[in-house]
Amino acid sequence: MQEKHRGLALFTILVFIFLLGPLVIISITSFESGSILKFPPEEYSFRWYENIFKVEMFLITFKTSIIVSIAGNILALLLGVPAAYALSRFHFAGKGIINAIFVSPILIPGIVLGFSFLRYIVVTYNLPIYLSLFIGHTVIMLPFIIRVISSSLANFDFSIEEAALSLGATRIGTFFSVVLPNIKSGIIAAVMIAFLESFNNVDISVYMTGPGVSTFPIQMLLYVENYFDPTVAAISVLLMFLTAIFMFAVERLMGLSYFTKR
Amino acid sequence: MALFTLENVSVAYEKKNILEDFNLSIEKGQLVSLLGPSGCGKTTTLRLIAGFLEASNGKFIFQDKDYTKVPVNKRNFGFVFQNYALFPHLSIFDNIAYGLRLRKISKKEIEKRVLNMLEIVNLRGFEQRFPGELSGGQRQRVAIARALVIEPDILLFDEPLSNLDANLRVNMRVEIRRIQQELGITTVYVSHDQEECFSISDQVAIMNKGIIEQLSDPATIYKYPETKFVADFIGFKNFISFDKRIDHKDYIELEKAGLVFTIDRHEHMENLNKMIGAIRPDDFIMEQSTTAIPTNGMTGTIKITTFLGRSYQYVVQTALGDFTINKEMVQPFKNGQEVTVIIPKNQMVLVE
Amino acid sequence: MVTLRKGSDVLKKRYLYLLLLPGVLFLTIFLVIPILSMIGTTFHDEGTFSLQGYIDFFKDKYFIDILLTTLRVSLLTTFICILIGFPVSYYIAKLPSKRKAILLLFTIFPLLTSPVVRSFSWMIIIGKNGVLNKTLLSLGLIQEPLNILYTPNAIIIGLIHLFLPLIIVTLVGVMENIDGDLLRASESLGASKIATFMKIIVPLCVPGLVIGSILVFVGSFTAYTTPALLGGKQRVISTFLYQNAITLNDWKLASIVATIMIVITFIIISIMNGVAKKLNPKG
Repeated sequence: MQEKHRGLALFTILVFIFLLGPLVIISITSFESGSILKFPPEEYSFRWYENIFKVEMFLITFKTSIIVSIAGNILALLLGVPAAYALSRFHFAGKGIINAIFVSPILIPGIVLGFSFLRYIVVTYNLPIYLSLFIGHTVIMLPFIIRVISSSLANFDFSIEEAALSLGATRIGTFFSVVLPNIKSGIIAAVMIAFLESFNNVDISVYMTGPGVSTFPIQMLLYVENYFDPTVAAISVLLMFLTAIFMFAVERLMGLSYFTKR
Repeated sequence: MALFTLENVSVAYEKKNILEDFNLSIEKGQLVSLLGPSGCGKTTTLRLIAGFLEASNGKFIFQDKDYTKVPVNKRNFGFVFQNYALFPHLSIFDNIAYGLRLRKISKKEIEKRVLNMLEIVNLRGFEQRFPGELSGGQRQRVAIARALVIEPDILLFDEPLSNLDANLRVNMRVEIRRIQQELGITTVYVSHDQEECFSISDQVAIMNKGIIEQLSDPATIYKYPETKFVADFIGFKNFISFDKRIDHKDYIELEKAGLVFTIDRHEHMENLNKMIGAIRPDDFIMEQSTTAIPTNGMTGTIKITTFLGRSYQYVVQTALGDFTINKEMVQPFKNGQEVTVIIPKNQMVLVE
Repeated sequence: MVTLRKGSDVLKKRYLYLLLLPGVLFLTIFLVIPILSMIGTTFHDEGTFSLQGYIDFFKDKYFIDILLTTLRVSLLTTFICILIGFPVSYYIAKLPSKRKAILLLFTIFPLLTSPVVRSFSWMIIIGKNGVLNKTLLSLGLIQEPLNILYTPNAIIIGLIHLFLPLIIVTLVGVMENIDGDLLRASESLGASKIATFMKIIVPLCVPGLVIGSILVFVGSFTAYTTPALLGGKQRVISTFLYQNAITLNDWKLASIVATIMIVITFIIISIMNGVAKKLNPKG
């Protein structure tokens, strides 16, 4: 029995080396002072971290990504929170179809979604790139918002709504004074998860690049095609750092179990 | 003077009528209970009064005004929920003040009323606590305070004590009655607990499948149930469906299977449709078998014996069926023993 | 008829549809209609219904090759993920909570990291001059550098790295829900630990396994970033789609490829729903 577990433990360690090793390696290579990516680095320096800020496209696309992800998040909230509320609260004919529509952006491959969006909306109506990115990212964030908020509302005691009504509140007043405050942490988690999905997204953003305009991950892809220096490694480290902060925040708010629930 | 009336209302849920042509009138200042088993429609009626439900037919008249279409939040009726429904994110003070803040009352006045209400429900000092920190009984009192502080015209209770333990329930119901009488507020109280309703109500409506079987003060219902359902609900366990009934000046003669019974005549039994006799297990006379059967008596055999603590309970087989009879005995009867069962003239009630 | 969840209230239709309408409208305009239009055009040739596009697609060996390569890569990835993921999940699920939490943290972290970062890190490792080759050469295990990058194998490695955490997280969740009492009952009836594992744990995990496999398969099948970075000239169906859509501007072919992707995805997800329902009739 002990041996079986020891063997399993060893195997697990190897698997985690597999999972985390590449991330560790890329972190170390980011400090290489030479201009070719190699491991182990010959000399160490922060040079490539500085370079990030020297490459104008990184700064521009970073700003673009942040703006698109935040703006899209806001629109997704405005569309998604009422929808999640309606779906959790009521039974009605056609609920299945509407549910299906709201979950479809996750089910349909992003690379397909992006293409059809490009062909039928962006090109047909000659939409400016920023607008296209904004709409596209809202589309992919919407199901996450709805899913997380619905999950918060799943065990919600709606009798407090009735209590508020009996005391004289309007339906809208009830929503803002009594429902919303009690799903606050769910909303925050939804926003963060949606933001991450949007910020890291490639499948859709890849269709919406133009002269001087693209999102940060796309810019990273473009850079890698032309330069194989440690800059991208440095960016990766910074991104992982942000991800770690993000994880910490979500764990504080919703607990680790949030990620293991399906 | 009736404060409000439900007139011929029908309420449907999923194509089934829970209430159909339902009528109920309540006087000002009374505490009326709606009592009955699950599914009888008592909660539906309560929620209809509150405005959480819409009737498909009929009217709700309040203070001579047609309130049928008035939405919940304009009715000014206080509602106390079974699970309290306190706002978890607000302090006790803010919970109670919630309704007042919607009514544009000055801050000072709000504070005065909330603290006063806390005094009435014996929760002074709890203002800054949160619902999560309170016990069930305390939360219920906050719920009552919150409903009362808006000075409602009607107070509605939906099984408010079901989630509390037995001792607390007795104490709380006394509190509720005390407050209700002190403030003279018209109250409708829903429960499935007979003792609870009977102990605090001016009137009790016993409901069954969407119909009020009897609406009366507790004492009358207890002594003179109108229908078999009501009698069964309040503890009459034995029923005899008589075939013949002859009304005399001071007594009524009833006959079944060749056996004749005489009972005292009472105004509650005037209804000639009442052909079923109901007797409580405690109200029989049972003796060892005698050769001569006295009036209102019959022979019986003990079938089952159970020890209840304060008495023995017997299932006795007779020509008119099995009866459940309670008896204290120094020496209890044994199974198989022959006995004589007598129904005293003043202990059988006639029901429909 | 619109009713509240507790089945005791009637809400005016106005409210309900007002809450849903903006979201539904938004997705219908920007997702549903474009997708349906795109699928529609694949069945038209010069204004009439025709399957010619698909016939031409399936006759072309090059296209079939790409489809089959993608399927093969996805299947292998899924299979290996399950093979590795299942025992690891079992181990983690049985750990005391502190250690379990730490390992789960390490599992979830890569999941949240950008796929660009993750795939990029493999480029450093499996390239001709990468870490792996350098190490193996210096250890004398190989004479020539291995050619991994820009082959299907690189894509498989990258995808495994991408999806293994997903399988682990899914399965740990499932295993945690297995009632410990069931295991104790099994052992008290005399079953060995292995028998308990095979007869109780494995069957109870099947729904989780099915769902996990399908998530991994669909994810691998439709992945873009990883094959784009690690596959080089080797195309999979998603990079092929992009190539036709943007580089070659062949929208007709791109639409056909996209539709095929949607159909395959939906078929597999339907199978998942069907199997999941059968295995768990109570829902």
